[in-house]
Amino acid sequence: MEVSEPVLLILLSLAEQPRHGYAILQDTERMSDGRVRLSTGTLYGALGRLLEDRWIERCKEQDRSRGRQAYRLTTEGRRNLQMEVSRLKHLMRLATLRVARKET
Amino acid sequence: MLRLYRSILYLYPAAYRGEYGDEMLEVLSEVQAETRKKSALARIGCAAREAGGLLYGALEEHLHRFTGRHDGGRFSSMFPGGRFAMRSEFRFPKATVGLMLVILAAVMFTIEKAKAISASIPHGNPPVGHIHPSQVTILPMLLLTMISAVGAGVISWAVLFALRRSGIQQLSEMNPSSGQSSRK
Repeated sequence: MEVSEPVLLILLSLAEQPRHGYAILQDTERMSDGRVRLSTGTLYGALGRLLEDRWIERCKEQDRSRGRQAYRLTTEGRRNLQMEVSRLKHLMRLATLRVARKET
Repeated sequence: MLRLYRSILYLYPAAYRGEYGDEMLEVLSEVQAETRKKSALARIGCAAREAGGLLYGALEEHLHRFTGRHDGGRFSSMFPGGRFAMRSEFRFPKATVGLMLVILAAVMFTIEKAKAISASIPHGNPPVGHIHPSQVTILPMLLLTMISAVGAGVISWAVLFALRRSGIQQLSEMNPSSGQSSRK
């Protein structure tokens, strides 16, 4: 599946620890310094797709009495995320090289 | 506001609503509670983002169900980069205001034209079957305006599509092969 910036931020948020919907929204905003503010509709569209592709799975939130629905990365999801990160690393290296070469 | 969100949620496919509906409402109420502390402008921006996100999500879920594809079929490919869904922050809608000004000008022009027409028609009931020349010219003009508007829309869509093909597409085509080589 195509990993857009919002999806990447959602995955990164879940890579740290399992989170419920609203916590993901807060975390993505914090990670991007307030630049990316996901709407609830966008978040659940992405979560639905990630669940279908088994990148993430449902789990119950443990530290709260409310027991809200939380999500966590699956093993496959973590592996895919690592691949995505190495792809981005490669792209960054390429971008840095090309931009530097143009200027000198 | 929550009532509006709830009514938009009814636009989602029933199965999706059953699965995520309550959870989404819970998140929406938390977002709502958080924005209550902010300024009126921020609240409006947030409400517009949430309502827009829900509408877009509903459309995409229906298309997903219809086509069985993850990216909502062709719909999201009409908006390059899915920008419609991931608009990151509130921006002043310059294009919309420009379009509204054009429409306003067109309406004013139409009213003026209509006044001129009504002035040129003699008062009292005109005989049936008699058509004033100015009434004959208005219909082709209207058609011409509509055709040119549709044409402008098609051209701008083509430009967007061409831009997407030339830039973003090539970038995404390049990545997987180069990404794989770096993995090994």
